[in-house]
Amino acid sequence: MLNYIIRRVLQSVLVLLVVGLVAFAMFRFVGDPVDNMLGQERTMEDVERLREQLGLDQSFVVQYYRFLEGAVQGEFGISYRQGRQVSEIIAERIPATLELAAVSGVFALVLGIGLGVFTAIRRDGFASNAIMTLSLIGVSLPTFLIGILLIYLFSVELGWLPSFGRGEVVQIGGWSTGFLTQSGLMALILPSITLGLYQMTLIMRLVRSEMLEVLRQDYIRFARARGLKQRAINFRHALKNTLVPVITVTGLQLGSIIAFAIITETVFQWPGVGLLFINAIQFVDIPVMAAYLMLISVMFVGINLAVDLLYVAIDPRLRTEGKS
Amino acid sequence: MKRALTLTAMALCLGTAATAETFRWATTTDPQTMDPHAVSSAPVLGFLNNVYEGLVRRGRDMSIEPALATDWEPIGAGDGWRFTLRQGVTFHDGSDFTAEDVLFSYQRASSEQSDVASWFSPVSEVIVVDEFTVDIMTTSPQPIFPDSIANWMMMDSGWAAANGAELPARDAENHATLNANGTAAFMLAERQPGLSTVLVPFDGWWGDVEHNITRAELTPIQNSATAVAALLSGDVDMIDPVPIQDAARLSETDGVKVVQGIEARVIMLGFAHDHEVLYGGADAGAPNPFADVRVRRAVAHAVNVDAILQTIMRGNAEPASQLVSPAMRGYSEIHAARPAVDPDAARALLAEAGYPDGFSFGLSCPNDRYLNDESVCQAVVGMLAQIGLEAQLDAMPVSNYWPELRADNFDMYLLGWSPGTFDAEHPIRFLVHTSGERLGTWNFGGYSNPRIDEMLPLIQSEIDDAARQAMLDEAAGIIQEDMVYLPMYVQPLIWGTRDNIDLTQRPDNFFILRWVAVN
Repeated sequence: MLNYIIRRVLQSVLVLLVVGLVAFAMFRFVGDPVDNMLGQERTMEDVERLREQLGLDQSFVVQYYRFLEGAVQGEFGISYRQGRQVSEIIAERIPATLELAAVSGVFALVLGIGLGVFTAIRRDGFASNAIMTLSLIGVSLPTFLIGILLIYLFSVELGWLPSFGRGEVVQIGGWSTGFLTQSGLMALILPSITLGLYQMTLIMRLVRSEMLEVLRQDYIRFARARGLKQRAINFRHALKNTLVPVITVTGLQLGSIIAFAIITETVFQWPGVGLLFINAIQFVDIPVMAAYLMLISVMFVGINLAVDLLYVAIDPRLRTEGKS
Repeated sequence: MKRALTLTAMALCLGTAATAETFRWATTTDPQTMDPHAVSSAPVLGFLNNVYEGLVRRGRDMSIEPALATDWEPIGAGDGWRFTLRQGVTFHDGSDFTAEDVLFSYQRASSEQSDVASWFSPVSEVIVVDEFTVDIMTTSPQPIFPDSIANWMMMDSGWAAANGAELPARDAENHATLNANGTAAFMLAERQPGLSTVLVPFDGWWGDVEHNITRAELTPIQNSATAVAALLSGDVDMIDPVPIQDAARLSETDGVKVVQGIEARVIMLGFAHDHEVLYGGADAGAPNPFADVRVRRAVAHAVNVDAILQTIMRGNAEPASQLVSPAMRGYSEIHAARPAVDPDAARALLAEAGYPDGFSFGLSCPNDRYLNDESVCQAVVGMLAQIGLEAQLDAMPVSNYWPELRADNFDMYLLGWSPGTFDAEHPIRFLVHTSGERLGTWNFGGYSNPRIDEMLPLIQSEIDDAARQAMLDEAAGIIQEDMVYLPMYVQPLIWGTRDNIDLTQRPDNFFILRWVAVN
């Protein structure tokens, strides 16, 4: 068991190192940051000097090594664009992304399961057919379009919700939260729907098909025959048995909600790490790009590692394989 | 629906009543630092002009007017300039502005870490004569020196020393990155990079207050559709810029208006003058036709700038005949004519140059730098096809664009130039002078003309306006005659505001808060 865990952890570290190497090899195709950092009246000497200062005259392997050297000491360098500590900037921005991801995750889960159950029970009803059709739109419309449509409807036409930003935030220690003010909560609504819509339709369709499957099972029939209440059958017996795949999918989707918040954050000018990353790409802000990519890959690798270890804990067969 | 509209109207009224003098505006780019000497870019200098001031400043019509200096005069026969400082000026933290601060700001702005050091390349020494007199000595006569330092902002030496910000922070962080202490009409109240930057009026300002703002908040909004929505919904009072395709629609919408002008930036096509062979297209490797002035002139006759402006810029820009717009100092009136659109003449010129069947080449173009830049290039490709030139368009983000141009990976390219000094000498120095370490640093095509190189220092040091203009006219003539660049148009400036906002738009795209009135 211990052997297996150590091996998986080492594998994860290797994956992280490779991700970093690939990222650094790609950075030079993003462009040259020096042009963005110096004004139009710069001399060629300025260009050369700055390039040397930033270590951009070195090969990407050397640059990567220097990044790793700093990273293991918790130093991610100075942002080229803002001239500030990258770790500080990311710490400032991450609460916005995590809060958005959490709210849209809850939205997707609650509404997805609710509607999934509903459309499974009333499988041929008018309402459930309408929901199923609408859910196709949710899957097929690109996120930025949904975002812009919501903004035009609820901000421009109706004037109910703010069109951009996080509203007022409250600082608690190093964490800025929008949960405690009215404008902060209002500002969360549209971006959360935009970000969670795809996941919601996914979960809804998953729950529906699993439910339909389960509702055909013998034990449901026997439950009906016993005269149990319809509600108890649907929610206590049927839904419980559909949740295993839903939980697996949700866990995996959590990572992508955070990673794919980039588009939603751009549309709503949501001040999270995704928006920061887009800025960094435009400016060729290598320290910020590197830190963001490492952060995201640590997160994905971490989730996968946790899932793998959980499997081992759950499934005894994997343990014996590990031994042999 | 009617009820919803009433509600909206009510909400809007309530919103404006509660925030009568809070002014909120949005730009695409966040000023990346609050340090006035660390980054020489329009978003930074434009924003900081509200917080810091220079010895001189530009008025509504871009003319130079007194700011922290009340008077200035040349010393001797062009040995330098004497500035008489305004008395009784205080910085936002209450300390007095004196000649020592000018000397300190010179040392800071001309240091190696500064991005504005080039403004001071002709300066040999700054001498503090007395508390309110400063002599800035130059190595050669500098007739337009006061014009060239309008964005040189004064920082308090004591404040900088106390906070360890004696040098600009370009690739490091210091106190001045996030904090500011200027003398201008507004004080920095809050700075959250990329999120919001709040200014409040400075009660101790020396000037006459024309605005009625009590609080001003800048939010960067990158997505232009979001910015337009924010303006329409009243979440912000002003946006810069309005996307060209939305300008007409916005100007017809109730509650908002569009403020239009032209920027100082001229958009032009550049050519590979000194390349041996073609870089792109099907004929890559063949001898470079653009070295021949007839080919360059043929291109000029083929590109229909009016059509580009009508369709792609929707009538919002003006054609350009030279490297600067007519609003700039030193513009050459006698060279105001553009090459005629004449495909037949273009074909004849090509035949004369030995390319009766045309040729294929590469056209490089940025796709996120200038307004509708890629579309303009696509239009150029179509127009050149009519005279038998097959341009292969290579459009890329600007971060990749400059390295490509520096590596000579182009045959023809799109370039925009906004002269920092608002003077015709500026593009000659950077775009036309033979390429070198300090001069001709943006002359990617490698054009070289001894007469231009000879004239540049003379233009720079000529004190007599008429003699200077004569040389600028000659230079403009040479540039047109040799078709060094093909100037196409002056880029438009399109801002959107709520109906109740009065403001002044300047061609440098600086947004000056002290000219804003919220009605």
